[in-house]
Order: sequence, then structure tokens, then C-alpha cells
Amino acid sequence: MDQNNSLPPYAQGLASPQGAMTPGIPIFSPMMPYGTGLTPQPIQNTNSLSILEEQQRQQQQQQQQQQQQQAAAVTTVTAAVQQSTSQQAPQGASGQTPQLFHSQTLTTAPLPGTTPLYPSPMTPMTPITPATPASESSGIVPQLQNIVSTVNLGCKLDLKTIALRARNAEYNPKRFAAVIMRIREPRTTALIFSSGKMVCTGAKRRRDVGLPWLHVPLHFGVFTSLFYLGRGWEHGVSQWMLHVLPSPQARRLVPHKEHEEQSRLAARKYARVVQKLGFPAKFLDFKIQNMVGSCDVKFPIRLEGLVLTHQQFSSYEPELFPGLIYRMIKPRIVLLIFVSGKVVLTGAKVRAEIYEAFENIYPILKGFRKTT
Amino acid sequence: MPGGGRCPDCGSTELVEDAHYTQSQLVCSDCGCVVTEGVLTTTFSDEGNLREVAYSRSTGENEQVSRSQQRGLRRVRDLCRVLQLPSTFEDTAVAYYQKAYQHPGIRAARLQKKEVLVGCCVLITCRQHNWPLTMGTICTLLYADLDMFSGTYMQIVKLLGLDVPSLCLADLVKTYCSSFKLFQASPSLPAKYMEDKEKMLSRTLQLVELADETWLVTGRHPLPIITAAAFLAWQSLQPSARLTCSLARFCKLANVDLPYPASSRLQELLVVLLRMAEQLAWLQVLKLDKRSVVKHISDLLQHRHTLIRKAFREGTLEVEALEKELQGQGPGQGQGKEEVGNSASELPEGKRPASPALLLPPCMLKPPKRVCPAPPASTVTGDENISDSEIEQYLRTPQEVRDFLRAQAAGQAATSSPNPP
Repeated sequence: MDQNNSLPPYAQGLASPQGAMTPGIPIFSPMMPYGTGLTPQPIQNTNSLSILEEQQRQQQQQQQQQQQQQAAAVTTVTAAVQQSTSQQAPQGASGQTPQLFHSQTLTTAPLPGTTPLYPSPMTPMTPITPATPASESSGIVPQLQNIVSTVNLGCKLDLKTIALRARNAEYNPKRFAAVIMRIREPRTTALIFSSGKMVCTGAKRRRDVGLPWLHVPLHFGVFTSLFYLGRGWEHGVSQWMLHVLPSPQARRLVPHKEHEEQSRLAARKYARVVQKLGFPAKFLDFKIQNMVGSCDVKFPIRLEGLVLTHQQFSSYEPELFPGLIYRMIKPRIVLLIFVSGKVVLTGAKVRAEIYEAFENIYPILKGFRKTT
Repeated sequence: MPGGGRCPDCGSTELVEDAHYTQSQLVCSDCGCVVTEGVLTTTFSDEGNLREVAYSRSTGENEQVSRSQQRGLRRVRDLCRVLQLPSTFEDTAVAYYQKAYQHPGIRAARLQKKEVLVGCCVLITCRQHNWPLTMGTICTLLYADLDMFSGTYMQIVKLLGLDVPSLCLADLVKTYCSSFKLFQASPSLPAKYMEDKEKMLSRTLQLVELADETWLVTGRHPLPIITAAAFLAWQSLQPSARLTCSLARFCKLANVDLPYPASSRLQELLVVLLRMAEQLAWLQVLKLDKRSVVKHISDLLQHRHTLIRKAFREGTLEVEALEKELQGQGPGQGQGKEEVGNSASELPEGKRPASPALLLPPCMLKPPKRVCPAPPASTVTGDENISDSEIEQYLRTPQEVRDFLRAQAAGQAATSSPNPP
């Protein structure tokens, strides 16, 4: 160690320049491919979430008065719906009990007597005049990308038997002490351990089932009227929505617990498979452990500036990873912020934490929008 | 005392167990000879029934400096001396290592991790004193894997709750460029390739600042950009002689490693310079390309602030998309772009410089990799019925199971049987 002259000072290049550039570090959650989950463009003058609040209030106050009017309108509309959605699997009306777990995320309970294809199908028969926007609200809603959940099947399992008798299972005890099982619908992967515990990942809605105008979550009546007018629904929607709502890409304005329910359905399917293989599997303690969301603020961000002002929360090491790791304390979420404006949020147990975290970070990011 | 002990001196069996100043001794009561004596005080004797206590469960760990910790501290000092750091750095790095070692997670870590921890402590010390040391250098010196290093580094920063400032780019430029072997004549270096250090340093710094302003530095490893900037600076100081030299050859001459991304950074930097050149009246007519623009880098750098303002404009992708929409709808609005953005040009149409490009990081300017169609809303309750047929498709039929077992047995027989000669 005393040969000072044989070693060149500093910067003798990179041990593995390629490695230095690629973010192959296991401690970070995997990058989401760009292009999925594109968020709606931010609204110029309205706030979609405050529209939902407005709706919620209206519905709660006027539920009695409007019920008759709407029941009439509902029957015409649901008739139209039912005609065209004969392929759609019937949804149990009682199954949906949306819970209000946060003031910002709202799921409005279906009106009694209506087939609740959407949580709030009928309240706004006329377009709601947008409420005055909350001061700093972004109008961008993060999209959920992945959910990890665990469940206890309640009995000891013989992994060898499962791997032998199931088609969709792989089991390599030398590599990992669990069976890896996959199902196609919803497209998920599960790790099944011999103790009977199971981890299920990957619940994300995918397939194209149903008709395009089913995208539209709100203001149903307006669209059906346009539809009947003979103009393409897209034209009507795009013209109208530009005024009130974000672009037609906005499809997750009604945050009901779809991902979470998909995850639960998938876990139940795995439990069923294990049951059919002859084990007395139950479905105990289903719990969502982690949720990952992503969104795009659509402007570049000066990460160096952000790490200077928020040093206690941020970690930015361009030599290791191109993004900035922001550890928010309340709610306890980790955000990966990239120079292109894309943000990945992870570590949430409920959906509301992701939304809240994004609403907290958006004003901070806006502060770094302009260069000096 | 019963038990069959005999005093070696007088042969008496009267041995008494006595404690002399808390040291237990077996003494012959006849002649006073000490037959055996215990240790003054031990964890053994303090424990009831003389049960053995594992070292990891005693408090010895906290009181002594273990051998591996001593070795680690020695390596910290050695690393500081190899890097020729000031002596104050050594003490700080040693203190960090000691603090880290107090955590049980570090104490029980593998030797490989403790090796890497040495480098982490030195790196943190250097960063806090704004000494430009890259992780690549430390990994090369320690023969460590960058992945292992990064994991340990992030862990230790979180564990010790440290505030580690970012790498100082200007200092890194100075240090890195000074390591180039281009400033003195040598048999391997042709005379026309030799360069003055100060000129090259100042120009490289200006080019790196330019790259920083135009979003080429954020999120990327700094070293390839500095290499590309140094190459351009070196070329532009004597373009006639040096334009034929490639980036790879330049690095070989300068005796530095060529980082893999440096060539793409070079292209990006040249694109930025070309856009700036389009705003200079006397360069527009020359119709520059990526090679000829190098000759005019000095001019471009001289006026870089104005040129950046004119050549680029703020904007986001959606503004651009909106403009394209407006252009598409409005008939023949060729110069529609001029209304948005701040191109302040008063020249007549023919000689108007190119309209400003968007000042965005390269990753935002590339077209999206794939356009995923928006999946529609489907209502899932989670309580739906799961049909039996759906589950059956995931189970093997008995015939399949038999076939699989047979195939497995055949496979194992094949691997276990000896190879035919």
C-alpha cells in the first residue's frame, strides 16, 4: 500500500463504466416502462379531485330529491347500457362497498336501485360547473402499477406435490424455497411457501374487455346524448372534456379500489388452485403490503437543485442511479424522481397515501420547473 | 477437603479452597502451599455453574477493538495515504468507520462488505470536504463491485444519518483533466497534440457548464461528459491538426480509460453546439456539420449565454404537442411556432435563424418507446365467483403427471449413468 507512484491519482476511469450507468441496483424498485400509465394532462383551470368532492357533497345532500328524476333517467340509460354490454359479466350489486379511506380519494356509493356499473353513474346528469380550484392541486392522478399482497392459506403445504400436479408452477428448492405460480387472468405471480403463506404480486388491469365509451367515468348522461346524436363519442368527449376535465386519456378519475380488488381476486384464485390440489386451504388475513404508482409531471426537473434544498429527504447520486430518491415522512412513501419529470411512488399500504404523497411533492417540483 | 487432591510439597490431603483477594485458590492447610489458583476475575467464574458464554453475547465486543475492526481501521488509513489526502481526512474517515462498526449489522457483516465499508468512509469524508473522488476510482482501488459498493454506501449513509453533499463538478473537471498526459512532451505524444494545461482546463470547464445548462448533465454519470468536453476543448484549440484524431485515440494518448457513454455525450454536445451556431449570423452561411463546428467552438463559447437564450426556449412536451395541433388545424401556418416561445429575431424571413428548439433533457426529446393503449375500466369486486373450469386449466391431468414423472426419471437416469467411452 506504499506504492503511491504506481497508482494514478483519482479518476482512473470507472471500474465498470457500463455498470455505472445502468441502474442495476436491487434496492430500488424496478423502473416502470415509460409509456404505460400516461397520466392526463394537467387541467388549466379546474381540479378533477375537487369535482369529485363537489359531486360527493351534491350526492349526499340531494340524494332523496334526485332519486326519482334519476331513476327515470337511469332506466333509459341502463337500458342502453344493458343492450350494448351483453357481453359484460354481470357485476354483483352488493359486492361493492366502497370505503372512504381518505378525504381526497372518493368513491361514491351507488344509488339504491341502480345497477352500479360505475360508482357514481347518475348524479351529474348535467355537466357540473367546475368548482373553484384548490390553490396548488396538480390535476394529475398517479396510476397504480403494481400491488403486492400476502395471504395465509392456513395449512402446511407440500411444495413438491404442488409443483408436480399444477401446470403453472415452478419449484427449484436449491434456488428458492417456494413454488412460483402464475395465472393469466388477472395476470399475476404468486410465491407459495410450505408454511402456507403466500405472496401475490402484479395485479394491474390490462385487457381490453368492454366498449370504448365505458372508459368515461363521469358525466355519463352527456356522453350518451352525444352518442345518440350520431357523432363519434370521441369528438364529443374531447370537445367537452377539454373544458371541464383533462384529455380523453383521463381514465382513472374515479379512484375506486379496482387494483386492490384484482389482487384479492387473484389471491383467491391461487387459494382455489391449492384447494383443488387437495390441501385444506383457507383464505386468512389477506393484506396489501405494498402499492406502486407512477405519473408524469411533463416538465424537466433540476435534480441538483432539489437535492440542495431538500437535503434531509433526498438522495441523488448520479454515479449510481439517474433518479433522485425522495423519502417522504408523511405519508411514509419513497418517490423516485427523474429528470424527465416522471415520478414513481412506492411503499404505500393504501391508495390514498400515493395520492397524498404526489400532492405533497407537486408544488416542490413546480418550484424547480424553470431554470435560472 | 475431599476429592483426592494431594499437596505436591508435603503430600497432605488437607486442601482448602480459599479466596485470596477474590482469587480462588486451593491451599494446603498443612504447609500453606498453593496448589492451584484461578484467574482473578472472569466471565466464567462470574457465571453460575461455570457455563460458557459466547463472545458475541458478552460485553467484550464493545470494550475491545476486534481484530477485524483493527484491520479495517488500518485499511482506512492506508487508503487515505494512497489517495494522498490531507491528514485531517484520515481522522474523520477513521471516526466514521468506528461509528459504523458499533452497529450490529455492520459488525456481523461479511468481510467483503467490511472491505467496501472502508471505501465508503473515505468517500464520505472526501465528499464532505468537497474533494472530488468518484466511486469508480474507489472501486478500482478496492477491487470491489460497484453494486456491492452502492448498497453499502446507501446503507451506511442512512445508518449514520449523514448529510453527504453532491460531487463538485468543477473540482472534478480540474482533477480529472490534470490527470491527462497531454501537457508534457513525451516520445509517445506527437508535438502537435501537446497542449497547455490552463487553456484546456478553462475551455473544458466552459463546455461542461454549457452541458449542465442544456440538461446534458442531470441524471448522468459526470465522467463521460467531462471526457467528451475535454476532447472537444482539446480539438478546438488546434483544429487543423487534431480533427483527425478520434475520441478513443485521444483517451489512449492521454492515458485515461474511455468511459463507454462518452461517445454519445459527445454527439449530444455537438448537437447543442450546432444549434447555437445556427443563431450566429456569420456561421449560418457556412452550413456547419458536426466536424466543422469544432473549429468555431471558441466563438460559440464566447457568446454562449446569449446563444443559449436565442437557440433554445423553455417549454414542455405538451406545449409542443399543442403547437403541432394548432399548426395542423390552421392552414399554412408555417411560422406558427414563432408565436409561442421567445424567438426575438428581427431579420427578414430569408435570413431568419432557425426557430428555437426545446430546451429539454435528451430523454424527453426522444420519441416514446412504445405507445401503450389505455386499458379500459373494468369493474372488479374481488368477490366474484371463480369458475371450476378456470381453475382446472391450471391443473395437470393424471396422464400428464405420469408422463412428467416418467420424463423426470429418464432425465435423471441419463445424467447419473456414466458417459460412454
